[in-house]
Amino acid sequence: MNELLWFVSRATGVASITLLTAVLVLGLVTASRRPPQGIRSAVVMGLHRSLALGSVAFLLVHIATAIGETYVSIDLVSAVVPFTSGYERAWVGLGTVAIDLVVAVVATSLLRHRLPERVWRAVHLLAFAFWPIALVHGIALGTTDETLLRAITILCGVVGVAAIGWRLFATSPDAERREAVLVQEWS
Amino acid sequence: MTVTSTRADRSTTPSSAGPLADLLESAGLTGRGGAAFSTATKLRSALAHDADVIVNACDGEVGAAKDAWVVEHHLDELRRGAELLGRRVTVAAHRGTPTARRITAAGLALLEVPHRYVSSEESSLVSLAHGGLARPVTKSVPISLGSKDARGRRMRPTLVLNAETVWRVAQIEALGPDWFRSQGTLDEPGPRLVAVSGAVARPGVVQTSAGVSFEDLVAAAGGFSGRPTAFGIGGLGGGWLTAAEARGATWSGGDLAAYGLRVGPGIVSVLDDTRCPLTHVARTLTYAAGESAGQCGPCMFGVPAVAEDMGRLAAGTADRATLQRLRGRIGLLPGRGACRFPDGVAGYAASALRAFAPEVAAHLAGRCDVEGRARRVR
Repeated sequence: MNELLWFVSRATGVASITLLTAVLVLGLVTASRRPPQGIRSAVVMGLHRSLALGSVAFLLVHIATAIGETYVSIDLVSAVVPFTSGYERAWVGLGTVAIDLVVAVVATSLLRHRLPERVWRAVHLLAFAFWPIALVHGIALGTTDETLLRAITILCGVVGVAAIGWRLFATSPDAERREAVLVQEWS
Repeated sequence: MTVTSTRADRSTTPSSAGPLADLLESAGLTGRGGAAFSTATKLRSALAHDADVIVNACDGEVGAAKDAWVVEHHLDELRRGAELLGRRVTVAAHRGTPTARRITAAGLALLEVPHRYVSSEESSLVSLAHGGLARPVTKSVPISLGSKDARGRRMRPTLVLNAETVWRVAQIEALGPDWFRSQGTLDEPGPRLVAVSGAVARPGVVQTSAGVSFEDLVAAAGGFSGRPTAFGIGGLGGGWLTAAEARGATWSGGDLAAYGLRVGPGIVSVLDDTRCPLTHVARTLTYAAGESAGQCGPCMFGVPAVAEDMGRLAAGTADRATLQRLRGRIGLLPGRGACRFPDGVAGYAASALRAFAPEVAAHLAGRCDVEGRARRVR
């Protein structure tokens, strides 16, 4: 039973990072300088939201199984308060930080209609802190001998970095025109 | 007690200010910058908020010249008028112009405005005065009540009035509303300045009033210097009358409204038969396309698109589909920007298509009857 929990925890961890990388990429696409138009934008946005909420289920199982198995000591407190775990304090702590950030991002998104746009946006940008933290957590604690699992995590990193690079460097006529006009004499 | 009246009580505006607003109201003074809003109403809200004052002497509209004329010939009265309106007065003028030098030489605070069409718009000036860029700002509340700049920071309540308007304030205070109302029409009382340019013998600023005939306006500018084909009214924010239409009309809101035009900022430019009106309009629209502040999509892309289609029409390379697309694009511009620049451009282009319908038909058929005297343009 303990062994089963351990493997489920590993599997849901990898599934979570895969899903959340997909969420990150979809978010970058909607917020990019070349956002999808028309019906595609609704599909991308809907997928971004649904996958984000769906991945929370995998995260919950990931945490529950990590606490439930008794092979290493991770308790309920260390699932919420970072760097309190007896086992691999630093790497488990990063996972806890990532969870706290996810809670903040999801909560503000669910309450988006009641929050100032700036507040929502500021918290939402924490996703860019969450993602690399979770990735490091996954790579560092990927203790199984199964290279496939670690390879998936690394692949997620490559895909996410590529998407962020594209977001930073891709241009659009709109952005180019705004920037071209802004450097003219306006004061 | 409301917040507004508390603030009004705390302000230390001149005691004559309240009566001044009444005086301006009975005179019927409206803004001479083009919007023709009641100056008394604007002044009352400005006083209630202890607003700063910006006298706009930019002549920002295409063909405008009267604000420079007021600064050149009536600077003392302009100063007097501004002092009646508030305690902190700045005069805005384009950088490096004779007007700017005259303002500085007179010891008045100068707001140096970049040479851009939209930079002399009310909210652009207030943004610039607060250390921001001279670009129009979305007005969540009127500028005279204090709005927010592009970054969401509060801007002080500011009363922005055209230089001619401020000069009229001084005149009304000195000579009285009856003197003011003795000129002009019942609907548009008071003396007005009009910059007459184009195909006239002596282009310049004419002192007149609403209701004057176009014939008299041109006569005051020395008469026609060629055979007139059309009258440009109000610059880029206005539109066109054919010479035939102008013969039966006066320069007044009532007559111009029939053509969707207004007396606006006092600009009349005469086009003669040596120039193709569509080429002139296309050039003006190309200028407009380069003047967008690059903030709102309809302005950034819509205005250049309209200019491009008008350019095709003028060059004789447009077909019916192009004209239809142009009309569609014109219809998409109004009411969608932070300022009314795209609205003005759309009105100007639509007015040109109306007034120059025969020329449009000729160009679609590949001819330009005016410029090339029936040369084929295609």
